[in-house]
Amino acid sequence: MIEYKNVDKSFGDLRVLDHISCAIPEGKITVFVGPSGVGKSVLMKMIVGLEKPDAGSVWVDGDEVNRMDERGLYRVRRKIGMLFQDGALLDSMTVAENVAFPLRQHTSKREKEIARIVSEKLALVGMPGCEGKWPSELSGGMRKRVGLARAIALEPEIVLFDEPTSGLDPLMADAIDDLILEMQRKLRCTFVVNSHDIPGTFRIADLIGVLYDSRLVAYGEREEIQRSRDQLLIRFFSRHTGR
Amino acid sequence: MSNTVKPSLLTGVLAQVGRWGIFSFTAARWTCSAPPALGSVLWEAYQIGVQSLSIVCVIAFFIGSTIALQGYYAFREFGGQNLVGIFVALACVREMGPIVAGSMVAAKAGTAMAATIATMRVKGQIDALEVMAVNPYRYLISPRLLASLIALPLLVVFADFITVFAGYLVAVYQLGVNSGTFLENVATYIGMRDVFFGMIKGGVFALLICLLSCYQGYYSQPGPEGVGRATNRAVVSVCIICIIMNYLLSEMMYG
Repeated sequence: MIEYKNVDKSFGDLRVLDHISCAIPEGKITVFVGPSGVGKSVLMKMIVGLEKPDAGSVWVDGDEVNRMDERGLYRVRRKIGMLFQDGALLDSMTVAENVAFPLRQHTSKREKEIARIVSEKLALVGMPGCEGKWPSELSGGMRKRVGLARAIALEPEIVLFDEPTSGLDPLMADAIDDLILEMQRKLRCTFVVNSHDIPGTFRIADLIGVLYDSRLVAYGEREEIQRSRDQLLIRFFSRHTGR
Repeated sequence: MSNTVKPSLLTGVLAQVGRWGIFSFTAARWTCSAPPALGSVLWEAYQIGVQSLSIVCVIAFFIGSTIALQGYYAFREFGGQNLVGIFVALACVREMGPIVAGSMVAAKAGTAMAATIATMRVKGQIDALEVMAVNPYRYLISPRLLASLIALPLLVVFADFITVFAGYLVAVYQLGVNSGTFLENVATYIGMRDVFFGMIKGGVFALLICLLSCYQGYYSQPGPEGVGRATNRAVVSVCIICIIMNYLLSEMMYG
């Protein structure tokens, strides 16, 4: 389980997170929505220790990640996979090498076994047979798929998705949402997603957190958030869905 | 009116130096405590050597030629043109060889390091390495550091040889200096100690070039402009610091 306890974060005079507290349950898809620049990515990066809160704490499976040393952080990170906004594939490597990268770094598997896993993961994300391609040859959606294959290569317990559908056309965004649902059904691990795509959020989320004006203004089951009569939420969602 | 206190130029420079010190210490710590794979070090050394070898040869050749010309005309004023071999040997092996090799590695490999790492920073690939529990210092900096330490001293020896050889060609075949006299002067005034000191200079330049270039890339500002600025800063800071360090090392070694 991932837990934020009274997390504050500022960059200079700009306060991006103000007293954020919530618990993200295991085996569910939790989506944080909110306008751009509201601190969703910062909140996500705190899970892997790339950002540290100014106050409060972040816990992953009982470990307080904001107080951990380098070694401890690497131990926690090995059970987490993350899909970055544009995939963050290593340009100097082919698709296969990118997906194989965490396996080569953290396991002593033979090359034959690694090649099998790479093919399996690429097939799982709908990119079979593209092992030899270079990241520069891929479209935005394909890069995200390969990034996802790399994120799940070590079969992590937690997968983080930072804006998985941003910059994609609606059809590709739907395809990525389908992929997230299918992955979760197959892998049964904890998914945390950042998004500002409200229709997509309602499709995939088990739980929804709404970040607005540096605060977590709502957090709960999808149905509960959808049914909420809170004026801020109604305004927020209607602006995005035309509801 | 804002009450924010703006840092002065001096505090800004001190902050940069401090941050570079911490960066260098961390890189050295990771290099010693968890050495990178030999294959990646040799690959980087090959890249640095091959990237810089042709340009080192060309520049070293013309530097050696120019030194021979200038030395000849200066010594001719008082009838000592046969001493040009001493001038070429001392200037090239003690000073110009290390400087030529260092500056060309800075221009070719140093800028490549800064640009590559800055691009990785801008595209979120360094964050991705961190999240994949791969230490970026160990993966990106350590192999380049060790590779620079292998390649640059060897390039210095190469530059020494080319500069003196070019000086010999100009002095003997263009200016008519006696070949035996030239070679005897070189052999008398230059020993293995000078070549070794040149290699030490090369090693110091390697550390500075790699750590300054990687530092500028690692802390690059966002966007393509950030990559350009990081590359530019890397080459400027490396050139300034290597020239100053060359003076200090020469004073220590030969003073």
